[in-house]
Amino acid sequence: MSATDTGGRVSQFGSAVAEGWTRERFGLLGAVALILIAFGPPFQVYLFTDFLVVALFALGFNLLYGYTGLLSFGHGLFYAGGAYGIAIVLRDLGPVFADVVGAGISPLVTFVVGGVVGLALVVVVAVPVGWLSVRLEEIYFALITLAFGMLGYSLIIQDPAGLTNGTDGVIVLLGTVDLGGVSIRVGGRRLYYVISAITVVAATYGVWRIVNSPFGTVCKAIRESPDRAGALGIDVRHHRWMTFIVSAAIVGIAGVLRAGLASVASPGLTHWSTSAIAVIATVIGGATYFSGPIVGAFIFLYIRWGISRFPALEAYWELFFGALLIAVVLFFKQGAVGGLHLLRDRLVGDGGGGGAAEAGSRATSAPDEATESSDDDARTDRGDTS
Amino acid sequence: MTTVLKTEDLRKQFGELTAVDNVSIEIDDDKITSIIGPNGAGKTTFYNLLTGVLQPTAGSIWLRSGDGDELVDVTDAEPHEVAQAGLSRSYQITNIFEGLTVRENVRVARISHEGTRLDFRSRATGDESVEADVEELLELTGLTHIADTPCDTLSHGEKRTVEIALALAIEPNVFLMDEPTAGMNPTEVAEIVSLIRELDADLDATFVVTEHNMDVVTDISDRIVVLAEGAILADGTPEDVLTDERVTEAYLGSDSV
Repeated sequence: MSATDTGGRVSQFGSAVAEGWTRERFGLLGAVALILIAFGPPFQVYLFTDFLVVALFALGFNLLYGYTGLLSFGHGLFYAGGAYGIAIVLRDLGPVFADVVGAGISPLVTFVVGGVVGLALVVVVAVPVGWLSVRLEEIYFALITLAFGMLGYSLIIQDPAGLTNGTDGVIVLLGTVDLGGVSIRVGGRRLYYVISAITVVAATYGVWRIVNSPFGTVCKAIRESPDRAGALGIDVRHHRWMTFIVSAAIVGIAGVLRAGLASVASPGLTHWSTSAIAVIATVIGGATYFSGPIVGAFIFLYIRWGISRFPALEAYWELFFGALLIAVVLFFKQGAVGGLHLLRDRLVGDGGGGGAAEAGSRATSAPDEATESSDDDARTDRGDTS
Repeated sequence: MTTVLKTEDLRKQFGELTAVDNVSIEIDDDKITSIIGPNGAGKTTFYNLLTGVLQPTAGSIWLRSGDGDELVDVTDAEPHEVAQAGLSRSYQITNIFEGLTVRENVRVARISHEGTRLDFRSRATGDESVEADVEELLELTGLTHIADTPCDTLSHGEKRTVEIALALAIEPNVFLMDEPTAGMNPTEVAEIVSLIRELDADLDATFVVTEHNMDVVTDISDRIVVLAEGAILADGTPEDVLTDERVTEAYLGSDSV
């Protein structure tokens, strides 16, 4: 008896929560949170910026992995591409811009131009690399992308063209904007957070639109069955190539932001261990969900930060992540977001007959919103959730 | 009567083995043609040649493309090019987009047919003419009531029907069905047979079927082509072919039916 009652109450509570969490309110809450964070302690602002950048990195990667079914182990190449693009522009062209547009505004102009150049560089690299890579599938695709990433690593370190400054990398000095007495440091933690937040939110919205477009729908179909897609007249290789380029470009934007945040573009960005961060964050968060890589990046960075608070454990943080990854892969294939969905279904869905019936009348409007928001949470629709 | 698909001396060699041996065949648009044969007769290889999955060792394949009466050479075409030219297929082992819903499956096929797959700015559900076509097709194949069900939760028979809906969504001139009743229970078989008849009557597509179930073959075929050891053994109406001694012999010689 009492158990049923509890079930009913839990279910009622669940429905009430589900009803409250409409897309608009969720968005508003997110926006308020993003604004509030700008006023937090400087280190927390920095950490959150770091999270946003890694989230975008993983999100771009997941367009190819979770949505199209290709596991790249070389996306660090495009992360580095964006970073080096802006770093080299800032180093070599900064003074030129100062002459053209005036020293006051030039740091900002150089930053924007550098970002665009970084993005363009990434696309230029991704076109041939992608064209070759999509000729292969599965493990061979993972290996060829890994090889391209390490090729980039080696080129950056050897520096045959004298552009990348070898193992030291290129220092990124964002400078100070001076507008008639008011001076703001572009690289200052709060301003850089604002720049990053706006960029990442815009890029995330862009990816969201892409995965819900005809283009993204075809990506999902290719992930499910490339043969079938081909037999319906879809040029699978070409579509994968296009997805590769878009995915690389998103990662390139993250790379541009990374350079400014770290104040350096370093060869480690294209090392396979950096590429692996995108893979790990995505798997922990849940590759089958749009929000998976974002949640995964959050868990990755904040747990790492949490561990770093305990110096005795810090040396072992990779061990800890290894264990976490094993747990996710063995018991939580859908990742953290999958776990949350499961929890929500428990609370809202089959909570117990009485409560559900009681909540029925109120819930009539809720299911629409609930289903809609579950679409919006954008399961990439792979595998089963229940 | 028009020829919609034609092969000329089509041959496929795997090392020493000749899987398809100089097959010349013309498929006409006014009949349902069945291609039958014992296991290992080369039916699947023949299908894979027609659909561009395998490249022939010799010979050529011609297909009526679009609304024209001219046959185009698709011998060296890749699978997606063959599909675009007007040949669609279903698979022996169900091959659909399992993780997507029934409606999304059909939508993908329509997006492919409309040529809007590179459109990354619109919403996938935003094209009204595509959506109308999707609904019409779901109606036609009797899938409307499960349109929003994820395909991995469907029954085997329902999945086979989705497979048919997918193949028809690209408005093919020729529809190759590879064992449409494989693994089905008798009720499902009866349903799929009546669906095939209906669709054949309603649509312009020409149906070509391979099938192990002889009751189904005799039931739906206007013409039967028997393959044995990669070559055509018999070709004619069901009455002629099934009473042909060589056909009985070929079957009894390997697997009985």
